Order: sequence, then C-alpha cells, then structure tokens
Amino acid sequence: MEARIVKKGQLSELLDKLAQEYDLVAPVQEETLTFFRKVSGAKDVFLEYTNSDVSPKGCFLPQNEKTFNYTYTGDSLEIVKPGDEKKTVLFGARPCDARAITTLDPVFEGEKFGDEYYSSKRENTVIIGLSCSKVLSTCFCYAFDGGPCDGTGSDLLFTEIGDKYYVEVNTEKGKVLADKYSQIFSSQGADQLAKGKEEIAKKLAGEFVRKVDLTGVKELLDDNFELPFWNGDDYKKCIGCGTCTYVCPTCHCFDIFDHTIGDFNGARFRCWDSCMYPEYTLMAGGHNPRPTRKERVRNRFMHKLKYHLDRYNMVGCVGCGRCIRKCPVNIDITKIINDLKEVAQNA
Amino acid sequence: MPNPTALTPYPVTITKIVDETSDVKTFTVVFDDPEIMENFGNKPGQVCMLSVFGEGESTISITSAPTRGKFLEFTVKRVGRLTDVLHQMEVGQKFGVRGPYGNWFPFDIMKGKDLFFVGGGFALAPIRSLIDYALSDQYRSDYGKVEILYGSRSYDDLCFKSDLFERWPGLSNTAIYTTVDRGDENWKGRVGHVPGYVEEVAPSPENKFAIIAGPPIMIKFALPVMEKLGFKDEQIITTLEMRMKCCLGKCGRCNIGSKFVCVDGPVFSLAQLKNMPQEY
Repeated sequence: MEARIVKKGQLSELLDKLAQEYDLVAPVQEETLTFFRKVSGAKDVFLEYTNSDVSPKGCFLPQNEKTFNYTYTGDSLEIVKPGDEKKTVLFGARPCDARAITTLDPVFEGEKFGDEYYSSKRENTVIIGLSCSKVLSTCFCYAFDGGPCDGTGSDLLFTEIGDKYYVEVNTEKGKVLADKYSQIFSSQGADQLAKGKEEIAKKLAGEFVRKVDLTGVKELLDDNFELPFWNGDDYKKCIGCGTCTYVCPTCHCFDIFDHTIGDFNGARFRCWDSCMYPEYTLMAGGHNPRPTRKERVRNRFMHKLKYHLDRYNMVGCVGCGRCIRKCPVNIDITKIINDLKEVAQNA
Repeated sequence: MPNPTALTPYPVTITKIVDETSDVKTFTVVFDDPEIMENFGNKPGQVCMLSVFGEGESTISITSAPTRGKFLEFTVKRVGRLTDVLHQMEVGQKFGVRGPYGNWFPFDIMKGKDLFFVGGGFALAPIRSLIDYALSDQYRSDYGKVEILYGSRSYDDLCFKSDLFERWPGLSNTAIYTTVDRGDENWKGRVGHVPGYVEEVAPSPENKFAIIAGPPIMIKFALPVMEKLGFKDEQIITTLEMRMKCCLGKCGRCNIGSKFVCVDGPVFSLAQLKNMPQEY
C-alpha cells in the first residue's frame, strides 16, 4: 500500500484548495453539536471532535433530496431531473462512518436495481478518512472488525502522528487526489511512519470500555424470530422517537413524497424515514404488519444483527455508538447484544 | 426503454375506466412513449408504482396479462388519499407509472398442471393476470384445466363481472364457480363463503397448483380446507401486500425478515411463507 505524509501545518492549505476545486464536506461545529456540512474553506472545519453527532451518510443519501421536478395539469405531464452531481471531497469521516458507507453500497448499488442518485454521488466523491485519536465510552467498532485506525471505505486515511498526518492511499481515486496535490502529499519518509500508526492503533485498541461479544447471537436470531427476550424492558422503554435511526450511519430507509407548488408544479423528494414510526409500515387499508413498538424495536435490532448479514453478507452495525449516546431512554445495543448472547448460551 | 432502476415514472394516458364496484375501478393505460409500452415486459404477478402527482406513489399490481395486448390494467380500490384522487380521474388524463417490479407467478413450473384459483373480494385483481395468461391462445395448451372459484360479500361487490359471466365461461376446459356472502334480488347463484365452497367443489391436489388471494380472514379459513384436500405447501401460491415506497429493495419497509416483498415477492408459496417470520 502506498503512503504519503501531510504536515499538520499544511492541512489548512489543503482544505482551502479542496474547497476551491470541489464541494468540500467536512465536520463543522454548530452550537455544541458536530455535523458534516459543505464548507467554504479550512476556517469552517472543526477538527476537535471524537465523532460527529450525525453521521456523514448524508453525503450520499441526503436527509432530503429532490428526485425530480414535475409540471402536471392532469392532461399533460413533464418531468425534469436534477443535473449531474458536483465533484465532492468528504473530509474527516471517522473509520466507523467510512466503513458504514461500504455497508450502504450493496443496498443502493447491488442486487437487482441500482440507484442513480446514490451512485452518482458515490462516484463523484473522494472520501478522506480521519483516524480516531480518542475512544469514547460508547465506542465498540472492534466488535464488528473495525478499528479506530481502520481504512475500510476511505480512499485516503489520515492518521495524526505528532506534527504530521500519515496518509494511507487505499484506492485509485485517493491516489489521483494525492497526486494532484503532490506538493502537499509528500512521499518522502512516509514508510517510516507506518510503524507509528500501528502503535497508535494498538494503543487505542486497548482503550475500549464496552465489552461486546457477538458469539452465538446471529445463530440464535436465525433460529428464533419469537424470543421472550423481545417482550422485556427494552421495547417498553422505547418512545418511538426515531433518533437512533436518524443518527445511525448504516440506516438507509427513506420515504418518498410530493411537494406541490401552485396549481401545476411540484417536486418529488425522498427523505430519511424510520422503522421506529408506526406509519412506516401502515397500509392505506389500515393493516399494520408491525403494529406495536415491540415489533418495531425487534425489527431494528434484527436488521442490524441479522437481516443485513443475510442479505448482503455485511453487518448492519459498525459500532459507532451514536444510538447509545443519543437514545433518550438509554436503550443500548451493546446491552442487547450481550443479553442475546446470554440467551443463546442458556438455550 | 424503461429503466426500472430509476425513481422516475413514465407518463401514461388513461384509455378506459371500468367501475367494478362502488369503490373499485379498473384503469386501462398506455405509455405515452410507444417504445416503453412495447418493451415493458411485465409478467403475470408483477406490480408497478403508480404516481399521482401531489400525492406520491402507491404499489398496485398489474391486473392485465401481457398476452392481452400492449396496455396495462390496474384495479384500484379507493382506500386512501392517493387512490381517492386516482378515482376522480377521467379517460384521457395522465398519471405516472414505473416498473415492472417484483417476482411473478411461477408459470414455467406450472406448465402441464391444472390451475385452481381461489379469490376473495377485491383480491381477484392480482391473480387475474395469471388467469388470462394461462387462458391466452398463445399459452393455453401449456396448462390443463383452469378453475376459478371466486366470491365476495354481495353481487355488487364482485369484481370483473364481464370476465366471470361473459369472457371466461365459454372457454374450453375451464370452470368458474362464484359465490356471495349475502344473496339479493340480483343474485341467482350460490350463497356462502369462499372456504366452504372450496370444500364443496373439492379440487383434487393431483397435478395441480392452487393460487389463492383474498382478505386475511378468507385465507385463514381456506388454507385448512386446502390442507384437508391434500394440497402440499409447495402447491399453494399466494401474493402479498405491503406498504412500499421505492419498490427497489432500498427504502426498507416491506421486509419480512430478511426478504423484501418488493423484490423477493410479492408471489410466495405457502412453503416459503412458513419459513418466514409471521410479520405481514
């Protein structure tokens, strides 16, 4: 694997250059929260974050996205699609979030049908990952084979070592970008830093607080849809707010709706939706296959721990810990995993 | 060529509207672009997303068989906002269609077999495409006897009356059984529920597929009857409904366990359903 070095002092210059040539999406601070937003340059970028409050999945699946405009009179119909995507650089995705994007790929690009909106953004975006320098008490990426310095999903992965960033070039797309700014991405001495990165990764791996053990969980869920466990306290606590799905980097459900402007014009949008809402599965005739929070909570965890694996051979969780941090009633996926493991052991 | 991967619908024009019952209409439509109509390639059992601009989209099964001509028929019950607007539309007006989506009835595996259709109420709509496919001049010789047992609450609630009483009865090696829950002055036929009539007709399971669609209560009572008659789970085929938004296996909501009804269904055998969570 190729590697480069970027001096910390040159990061601002790089970000300013990227913002000039691309749509640059990077972490920004808004009040006390961190989001990924389009920025005008290095001055907007906030780097003192451990993980953003909402994941950068919106780069590829925006929270609200216009799919087309229409003019419809009843007797005539015209549909106009938006233009091509702009070249974009996503800077500062943490390894869990970059990995999460790879779990969205088979949903939007695999199987039978593609998704032109997702794919054109994906093709036109270079992902620059940024290794973690701290592990939060809610982090558990290691449980899903991730890590604080894992490069999966990142075209380039930056790891902070002293006054430099060690940059791994993971893809051709990343290489093209690094070559384009070769005065900033220096090849000299990069190989010697590889060991430094390994040491950081090792140190951080020892800092995880949460012990998560998936042994036997998938097998248990494969054989048991109905488990007394799901009747326990977890679903009773749930208030169905949907925050977990909103902040989740691997949740991909969306709604489609029309917004009419005036008599004849309008636009169709898709926006994030949540399996925690009763309307999500409610049919026009009144039947609802998941009528209570019990079924909805079960569906969310089954999706993360089983369904996504069944369908795409990829885990549906990357261990970012956002749903644990943000849940207003402290529903904790790591507790659910460990409880299920115990159920499996006692079965 | 239609691009079924896109979320963009294609304009269609309504060429005919039939009032099936007081709240069910069948819309015949053709694509404005003749090339899309020509290459649409729908198979019996598949569905489309219908766009009613201002209201959004809804998943509706294609009621017509591709063998009947270059048009699509959608039989729509007025149950919500979108279908309410659709029911106010007139011949000549336009809406949007994308598709075709989902799997189809296993008409290849069914070759050489007899087909026994059981329909209840409005749910004859999704299986009518297969009935007409099997009864078409082109494919009639591929299938044995075709029997259709269909019932609804009253005579007024029977859909596809011209098919039931004019078009289908004259065809060879075909039998039509109709029943209504409540008789009235318009009805001279049998009175009683569908499952009881199935028991009375007592189709032999030998070399036969049963295709069942109806309200959950009808299915609930019809399945034990089929079982008693000796039908195996693999011989019983049905089609499911779910709320859908994309119909491409991405928006998430139509899952039953790891399966998405929009791409893995809507057609399932009873054997398949028994291996899936009872969450539909």
